[in-house]
Amino acid sequence: MTLTYGIGIALILAIVAYVAVVMNLGASVFWHEALIVGAVTGLIVGDVKLGLTIGATLTLMSLGMWTYGGATIPDFMTGAILGTAFGALPGVGLEGGLAIAVPAALLMTQLDILGRATTTLFIHGADKAVAEGNVRAVTWWHLLGQLPWGLTRFVPVFLAVWLGAGPVQAAINGMPENLMRAIKVTGSVLPALGFALLLTMMPLKKYWPFALIGFILFAYLKVPMIGIALAAVAIGVIYLGLKEVRANG
Amino acid sequence: MANPQVEQSQVLPEYGPVTKADLRKAAWRHNLTLQWSWNYERMQALGYMWSILPILQRISKTKEELIANMQRHMVFYNTNPAVGSPIIFGATCALEEKGQGEVGDSLKIALMGPFAGIGDTIQAILLRPMVAVLAASLAMDGSMAGPLIMFIFGLCWFALKFPQFYWGYNQGVNLVTTVAGGALEKITEGATIMGLVVVGGFIPSIMASVTTPIKFVKQVTVDGQLTEKVVELQPALDSILPYMIPLLIVGFAYWLVKKRHQSPIKVLLWLTILAFVCSYLGIL
Repeated sequence: MTLTYGIGIALILAIVAYVAVVMNLGASVFWHEALIVGAVTGLIVGDVKLGLTIGATLTLMSLGMWTYGGATIPDFMTGAILGTAFGALPGVGLEGGLAIAVPAALLMTQLDILGRATTTLFIHGADKAVAEGNVRAVTWWHLLGQLPWGLTRFVPVFLAVWLGAGPVQAAINGMPENLMRAIKVTGSVLPALGFALLLTMMPLKKYWPFALIGFILFAYLKVPMIGIALAAVAIGVIYLGLKEVRANG
Repeated sequence: MANPQVEQSQVLPEYGPVTKADLRKAAWRHNLTLQWSWNYERMQALGYMWSILPILQRISKTKEELIANMQRHMVFYNTNPAVGSPIIFGATCALEEKGQGEVGDSLKIALMGPFAGIGDTIQAILLRPMVAVLAASLAMDGSMAGPLIMFIFGLCWFALKFPQFYWGYNQGVNLVTTVAGGALEKITEGATIMGLVVVGGFIPSIMASVTTPIKFVKQVTVDGQLTEKVVELQPALDSILPYMIPLLIVGFAYWLVKKRHQSPIKVLLWLTILAFVCSYLGIL
């Protein structure tokens, strides 16, 4: 059985993508995370568990990826929407969803660059408006600067969800069993990328004992995650306190 | 710059003292839309200018003054929008209000670098991993509490921009001395240490499902009778070092990035190949 998405669902998911990327630009860092967007997509397409799993996997993969100084990183938000939407189709499932989400996130980097470049036109428009002292025009140039950002997500999500369901199903259904198993194993290994990148951002050489303490707390003492987070706060504060004592005397 | 012979009719209607409502408006503009017009050329410049515009309109007597003031703020600006930028923005608002706009301009340039450093450290090394891993582990169990927690943290992170703004506003030009006092280094070091403890604990907990299904069939003699016993490899590995396989995989990825200078995309590719091969051979 082939089930496709109507234009309505495609439109709603495209709007989710648009809002998420603009939220990330303005309000807050977390609202565009794959985890949240995956869950929202799951609610819309009727498979919350799938959305949660794909979103969580992508979010963990992206730990340590940070847009330093406006660098482009894979667009896991869009990946989560497409992976969840396609994964919810009959016969595609978690493995198929992941097999779509990760490449989609990588391909979307090209459109991210396009969006960031196109917005340059808007600041030139604003320059002109400023020179004329036209406050209203400046306002519009700024507020509409979201368009290249939003549309570079809106359009691909809309087209892919609307037109892609059939081809994706056909492709995934044709995949052999052991390939699907391999994709599942890959999914469980991928958070290693996030952790590794995160560790490269940290001065591991100087502070490695702190990572070891964290490992011992979980692996041997079975401390739950919240407990580890609380221990981290305590250890950080104690370290800074001791350092101050040594500096003063 | 002000022209003393300005006729009353040329005075802009917005000209006047900066009110509390103006500050609130500027803070909301900054905190909600700073990067909406982010672009490669001047990054957050236009967002910054539009955010501070309510203040500029108050302090500019004539259209010419307003244009000059707006142009001062159309220069390159980029820093962490959630931690840091609200503080810098608040301080510049205070300086504009006092007629020390040029001081504000140099303050912006002086502080955007250090604040980007500390803001990115707190967010990328400590806050995001902590929240993301907690939320992801809940989500993996199928709980909506995961995304919900993340959403709430996002809301708190947004709300925290407002006290930052007013703190910066009250600090004004003193902000530079506060920053030079070493407070930023201290916060960064504390955040790094906390982040490391958290990551050390989260790696095994998140990747606990990565285990090996390898089994050996061993011939053993029990009470003089020869029987076959199935020995699983995983418990044996656990008794040497728990979570050995996840650690090896993270170590491999870390080695690729750090020592082999591979890009994240290439590491992703290597991990995929590794997973495919191990899955095919029945190792994972």
